[in-house]
Amino acid sequence: MITFSDFSFQYSKTDSPVLRRLNLNYSPGEFSLICGPTGSGKSTFLKTINGLAPHFTGGTARGRILLAGQDVSGSLPHQLAELVGYVNQQPEGSFVADTVEDELAYGLEQLGIAPAKMHEAIVAIADSLGLADLLTKPLGYLSGGQQQRVAIGAAIAAGQRILVLDEPTSALDSEAAEELLRLLTQLAHESRITVLIAEHRIERLIGLVDSVTMVHPDGSVTKSEPAKAFNDYRMVPPLVELAQRLDWKPLPLDIEAAESFWNSSRVATNPRIPFRRDLTSTVLQVSDLGVNFGGESALHPSSFSVAECEVLAIVGKNGSGKSSLLWAIQGSGMRTSGKSLINGVDPAQLAAADRFEQVCLVPQNAADLLFLNSLAEELEESDRFAKVSAATTAGLFARLAGRLDPIRHPRDLSAGQQLALVLALQLVKGARVLLLDEPTRGLDYEAKRQLATQIATLKSSGKAVLVATHDLEFVSLVADSVLELVEGRVISHLPVAEALASGTALATQISSLVRQPGVISINDVLGVDHA
Amino acid sequence: MTNPFSASKLHPAVWWMVGFSFAILAGSSGNLIVLGAILLACVFVILSCRETAPWSQSLRFYLILGALVVSLRLVFRIVFNLESGGSEPWLRLPKLGLNLGVLGEFQFFGAVDKASILAALTDGLRLAAIILSVGMANTLANPRKLLKSTPGALFEVATAISVAINLAPQLIESLQRVRKARMLRGRSDGLRALSGIVIPVLEDTIDRSMSLAASMDARGFGRTADQSALRTTWLRAISLVSVCCFAIGCYLMLATKPDLLSLGVVAIGLVCLVWAVKANSAKHLRTRYRPQPLCPADYVGLLLSALVTTAALLGWGV
Repeated sequence: MITFSDFSFQYSKTDSPVLRRLNLNYSPGEFSLICGPTGSGKSTFLKTINGLAPHFTGGTARGRILLAGQDVSGSLPHQLAELVGYVNQQPEGSFVADTVEDELAYGLEQLGIAPAKMHEAIVAIADSLGLADLLTKPLGYLSGGQQQRVAIGAAIAAGQRILVLDEPTSALDSEAAEELLRLLTQLAHESRITVLIAEHRIERLIGLVDSVTMVHPDGSVTKSEPAKAFNDYRMVPPLVELAQRLDWKPLPLDIEAAESFWNSSRVATNPRIPFRRDLTSTVLQVSDLGVNFGGESALHPSSFSVAECEVLAIVGKNGSGKSSLLWAIQGSGMRTSGKSLINGVDPAQLAAADRFEQVCLVPQNAADLLFLNSLAEELEESDRFAKVSAATTAGLFARLAGRLDPIRHPRDLSAGQQLALVLALQLVKGARVLLLDEPTRGLDYEAKRQLATQIATLKSSGKAVLVATHDLEFVSLVADSVLELVEGRVISHLPVAEALASGTALATQISSLVRQPGVISINDVLGVDHA
Repeated sequence: MTNPFSASKLHPAVWWMVGFSFAILAGSSGNLIVLGAILLACVFVILSCRETAPWSQSLRFYLILGALVVSLRLVFRIVFNLESGGSEPWLRLPKLGLNLGVLGEFQFFGAVDKASILAALTDGLRLAAIILSVGMANTLANPRKLLKSTPGALFEVATAISVAINLAPQLIESLQRVRKARMLRGRSDGLRALSGIVIPVLEDTIDRSMSLAASMDARGFGRTADQSALRTTWLRAISLVSVCCFAIGCYLMLATKPDLLSLGVVAIGLVCLVWAVKANSAKHLRTRYRPQPLCPADYVGLLLSALVTTAALLGWGV
């Protein structure tokens, strides 16, 4: 269905091609996961298929691409619109119309499909993607998962045989992501659409796909069966990492497959010591904090406390009130009741500049906090603003992310480095409480591990850290305790080993496999020091 | 709570026709009663037909703008008073003379007679009525539906407008987000904050526009059928000439009394323009999903606007 032959792609002003001499072939109905470290060229690879690269990104392509046997090298995206459907990370940014129905019709209109057939096509695609009841709804009223389904429907409504998706689940919670991936599997295996999908959370897809396409940092691209693809790849989910470390072959891709290996191996685990909050060192005391938006309750009055050197993970679905809680604690967000006290002072009572010394919040879009043109300028401006001695911020940043070229533009840093920069800028005044809103969004496993190390560094310096996330594997790496929110209510507040234990709804891969108390992450199995 | 008179019952193009015809009548009228009637009609129609869409919430803005225009006219009339001395004064204010040397003597305030106040009021109300007529069309016509019924030749322009409409609320949203983010860094709001806000917001907006453009292109936007270069050139020339005809005709009509010559030039321009747009649209392969057909109510609207325009051209409103 898709054939690359001797295909290379190079951006202008770079020394080496980002894709080097590709020879690949995808068959009809093949479901392939595109993997590779951040910045390796996964997006570029996907964009070459419908000509968005080079026509939108710049650069030059060499070699040939064939779609359904037809040589399409050099074609423009709109010329390939009837062959390839393309979906990106943020569906709301790609919408043209008002309502679901009109959005689905847009591509059909551009392709000149007869109006009589258009209605049929729209009804058919809406049925297969579960959008039939939503056809007349405005796009803005849909949930993230529904919006992403509309984007997929709009991409393949005209009967496109190839569907290309660039990290479509990165803004979705696990439930919505699973639903979406199940639909994509159906499209590939029942409707015989060739589906290529780039995705960081490999564990969600590894059991579903037919092949894994690996984009290597040197520009080569290889395709193999899922079980063989990850033998020596670093950015893998915990289960695969465990299998690699214990040398299980062939690599088990799901818990059932791993269980037989686990049962026959005799690995001595190293369960973590149950977390006990030191009641004398409470830093943050939240009491009866509630938030209402337009008469609806986003957060019911909640109370809890966080001690110094404690990392509290706040978990829950999208819309369960995680962000509202963080912003209310920080003091600049909406509050309808209660207070949050940091060493006895409520940040809501303070001016912005004083609040900054007590508590810092890293919002979902961390890059919003960056506004200068180089790393050095950002770091120096921060020292001046905070009235601290020169290079204080730079020192903090180096502790978190190592040394980087100071002339680099902050927006060219990787997502992980940007996060470290924002943390350094935010912590320059020594705030005791650190609030992180969905920090792992868009990070690969390597970057998540680095972030976990950064959080551990901050924790050991006495901070109280609150992390809102739906990434449970990340929670198992960083958290001491877990607060679960469902529809704005705190339904549990437990030490992490209990919250993520096997048999619970929040169980991690490792806890489901090992089923021992206190063993929830790979560190608990392989005995990394818990100090 | 469906409104039986909701604006979407009429084709958006009909709203614009009605709006324009009201504006033409207002422009040609010097009668306070006619102008007042137009103003009241616009406000009444907007209030009874408007929907909840973002572009429908701007009545207050047009009213303020209209009131501003009227009061400015009146204030100017009273301040920069040119005493005609004819009829008996209506308002007596102390005179204020100012000698500007070479420029001669200027006089402010003084006695104002009824006729000049009335003239200023008429001028102001005329402008306000035009503003409200156009405002009515803008408030009641759904721009995206209008986009759907634009001919292929104008589709690119219409799409640009539609994208701009989409972008405005997004811009406001990212502005709010970035301002909140600045507060997180302990910065206060103010003029100095501007650079810190502009860069992230612009970056966000450009990113979004690019991703929207990519998505539109990937879905087939901009496909054209092949046409000979000669035909394309001819069509362009004809479009240009017809637009010029239309513009000159309109100018003649407004500058002098509407007569056969000016009406003729406008008519020729319009006919050529419609033909050129139709011919240009043929190169687009686009089809339309559920275009809104004209219904009886639309014909009533069109008839109304034709009547109003005729009345204006025949000078009934004067």
